[in-house]
Amino acid sequence: MPLEKQTGRRRVQVLGIDAGGTMTDTFFVDSEGEFVVGKAQSTPQNEALGLIASSKEGLEHWGLMLEDALSEIQTGVYSGTAMLNRVVQRKGLRTGLIVNAGMEDFHRMGRAAQAYLGFAYEDRIHLNTHYYDDPLVPRHLTRGVMERIDMSGDVVIPLREETARQAARDLIAQDVEGIVISLLHSYRNPAHERRVRDIVEEEVRGAGRTIPVFASTDYYPVRKETHRTNTTILEAFAAEPSRQTLQKITTAFKENGSKFDFRVMATHGGTISWKAKELARTIVSGPIGGVIGAKYLGEVLGYSNIACSDIGGTSFDVALITQNELTIRNDPDMARLLLSLPLVAMDSVGAGAGSFIRLDPYTKAIKLGPDSAGYRVGVCWAESGIATVTVSDCHIILGYLNPDNFLGGQVKLSRERAWNAMKEQIADPLGLSVEDAAAGVIELLDSDLRDYLRSMISGKGSTPGNFVCFSYGGAGPVHTYGYTEGLGFEDVIVPAWAAGFSAFGCAAADFEYRYDKSLDINIATDASGDLKAVQAQTLQSAWQELKERVLEEFEINGYSSDRVTLQPGFRMQYRGQLNDLEIESPIMEAHGAEDWNKLVDAFNDTYGRVYAASARSPELGYSVTGAIMRGMVPIPKPKIPKDELQGESPPNSAKLGTRKFYRHKKWVDAQLYKMEALLPGNRITGPAVIESDATTFVVPGGFETWLDGHRLFHLKEV
Amino acid sequence: MAYTKAKIKDLLDGKIDRDTLHTMLSTPKDKERFQVYLELLQEQVKWDDQIILPLGPKLYIVQRKLDKKWMIRSQAGYDFCEWDQNWKLHARIRVRDTAAQMEELYPRLMAPSPEWQVIREYFCPLSGDLLDVEAPTPWYPVIHDFEPDIEAFYKDWLGMPVPERA
Repeated sequence: MPLEKQTGRRRVQVLGIDAGGTMTDTFFVDSEGEFVVGKAQSTPQNEALGLIASSKEGLEHWGLMLEDALSEIQTGVYSGTAMLNRVVQRKGLRTGLIVNAGMEDFHRMGRAAQAYLGFAYEDRIHLNTHYYDDPLVPRHLTRGVMERIDMSGDVVIPLREETARQAARDLIAQDVEGIVISLLHSYRNPAHERRVRDIVEEEVRGAGRTIPVFASTDYYPVRKETHRTNTTILEAFAAEPSRQTLQKITTAFKENGSKFDFRVMATHGGTISWKAKELARTIVSGPIGGVIGAKYLGEVLGYSNIACSDIGGTSFDVALITQNELTIRNDPDMARLLLSLPLVAMDSVGAGAGSFIRLDPYTKAIKLGPDSAGYRVGVCWAESGIATVTVSDCHIILGYLNPDNFLGGQVKLSRERAWNAMKEQIADPLGLSVEDAAAGVIELLDSDLRDYLRSMISGKGSTPGNFVCFSYGGAGPVHTYGYTEGLGFEDVIVPAWAAGFSAFGCAAADFEYRYDKSLDINIATDASGDLKAVQAQTLQSAWQELKERVLEEFEINGYSSDRVTLQPGFRMQYRGQLNDLEIESPIMEAHGAEDWNKLVDAFNDTYGRVYAASARSPELGYSVTGAIMRGMVPIPKPKIPKDELQGESPPNSAKLGTRKFYRHKKWVDAQLYKMEALLPGNRITGPAVIESDATTFVVPGGFETWLDGHRLFHLKEV
Repeated sequence: MAYTKAKIKDLLDGKIDRDTLHTMLSTPKDKERFQVYLELLQEQVKWDDQIILPLGPKLYIVQRKLDKKWMIRSQAGYDFCEWDQNWKLHARIRVRDTAAQMEELYPRLMAPSPEWQVIREYFCPLSGDLLDVEAPTPWYPVIHDFEPDIEAFYKDWLGMPVPERA
């Protein structure tokens, strides 16, 4: 074993981290584009522990010590739950809020949707389960100021400055640790909000204190009051403490010899520094990593339409990439809060490998989830304390997984425990054999996921035949055959590093800041050149404002403006339609009618590609709903491996014997392979199970898979 | 799924944690729940006549030990009437039907007008516990809330023997 490891020459360059709810994955890339995946169970109490454990586990495959590898790494990207946990538990700083006089209750009233956000469908329609969280800012720390700006940006009531002063003094006297200002329609006309901000800052100084002040217009100048206010409050409430958590992680790595500064995966699909001003957007990141990874792979290898599918312990996440473009949603919800953040669009169903299986006591129907055992796997893990059978238990029973090699043997699973629990809880009450009951559960899950995938793609007006399906996540490859069977994807691809794919995606993400601003531009198709020029200038001044903020963020990280590549964008829709599209601007600046026409052309092109050319409706005229500015600086990214193709038959060294495998009412002997020992060009016909420490790829009878030179498995039905 | 007796007690006391409560609400009811629930209620009362069905906070239908009659009884031990009668007719009653009485409860202008709506409060004659409140129009008869089909509930729903009734 030590002979294989040529420790002397390997130089580790990139580290990607995905600290999920179940597993903490690390992904190391060396200068040759070789990579290795480390896995450990997550440690939500102190994330650094799981991170270090996972790194050690990964580097061990290369025979490297943590200290040696870390000192060489140039770039590290973190995605995890530091921010989310804090918000979910509502553990933040004592924050004061200034809103319009008469509107002081809107934050605590919230939106009705916040009473059931994140619930499974059956709970959403089951009103008894709904509940309201305490507001992030309690009523006694909320003050109103007298002013009003209407939705067109016109001043209806001038700002009564003394009310702002009084509000600031009240809040300062209550020892708040941050003050958020969010006034109606400030995204349209920020004058009052900025003035209030300046007054509050004066009062803070006058009181001899240092309290940070957050005006919504400086952070999220976008429409929708609840979303904008919630998001700005998060900056005051949670960003600072989360920054400390991230700093702790950075320190933990520095103590182990690292020299780089961590970047954090952000909701818009880029990575930002933990020093960033807008940190609320790091609230969710894990699942996004996979989508970014798929997009990056697609760009390098020439797949433009990709259905990304990820199964982890708790959920099945699907995202579509069309023509190498992600969809960005503008008002996602996280931790039961409606927010204004650009978020890579993704749909989730609460069905994963850890989902609990129960029988409805009245109908005897099998129910999956919505809750799950998460990192505790299932009954098969004796130490888990789990009493209800899970999907993983079925995998163990049916021979899909190797009970002795779960996470490379870090966790020992017992087939007997799973078998007995399955018999007692599901099989006996249904009058089925244990293997039939378990197989039924797997088929049910697969068909649920398959229907979901199909409906998502047909919802876009397309068919699976136009898409390549990428399947990853720790449990993804176990089910790939099941949820793609019969859908007719152009190709089905399982990366050999499926388990660390999200972490890989993090490592592949750009160092990118993005700022958004709402606009209300409305214009007819046949508008005069003058009118078009006015609209172009409105957009231009928004771009200018956002550009300054993007450059400011990079400056905090020591990048001067000449090293930053800027990419303006906008959101446009046909007038009167409900959904807008995000368009990368073909021009850097917009001034005249000519420029306006180029923007419109770009929109029409994209619309035709995303939907259909015949669906374009230029006769309606155009609305621009938002301006976007993205800035990027180059960073080292993982190389995609390119190996010579070998013969079709796998080497004997890859064969690990056979295991009994149950499907379609028969036990068969599945050939087992060691994933790492397979060579490019190898072809494997099912029934076979390809095992790796961190993931298991199941190729049942009727399927075959081929490993290409980029270490991607292509799965097809035969 | 079965819950421990301590968990059900937390539920009864309003102290249960959010996650368990959510699971309870969104999964089918555990089979043994009603019996555990009755046991807990029985532990909370001072008398030992068997509780057949809770009717509300501090109000029960019990099987009276001495004559096996099913009675509606308060926590403090007051027997209002037989189980299928309207117990409210045997309670102490306060009717709030003036603005002044309403304003003991609500701010001015936020209370109902007594010509349209009155508030009737039903108390236990022994302990003074407030057992029920109704808010009908002034002329409306005392509402008979509930006449449970205990036999069907025990036999067909719970699969338990129906307690003896004289």
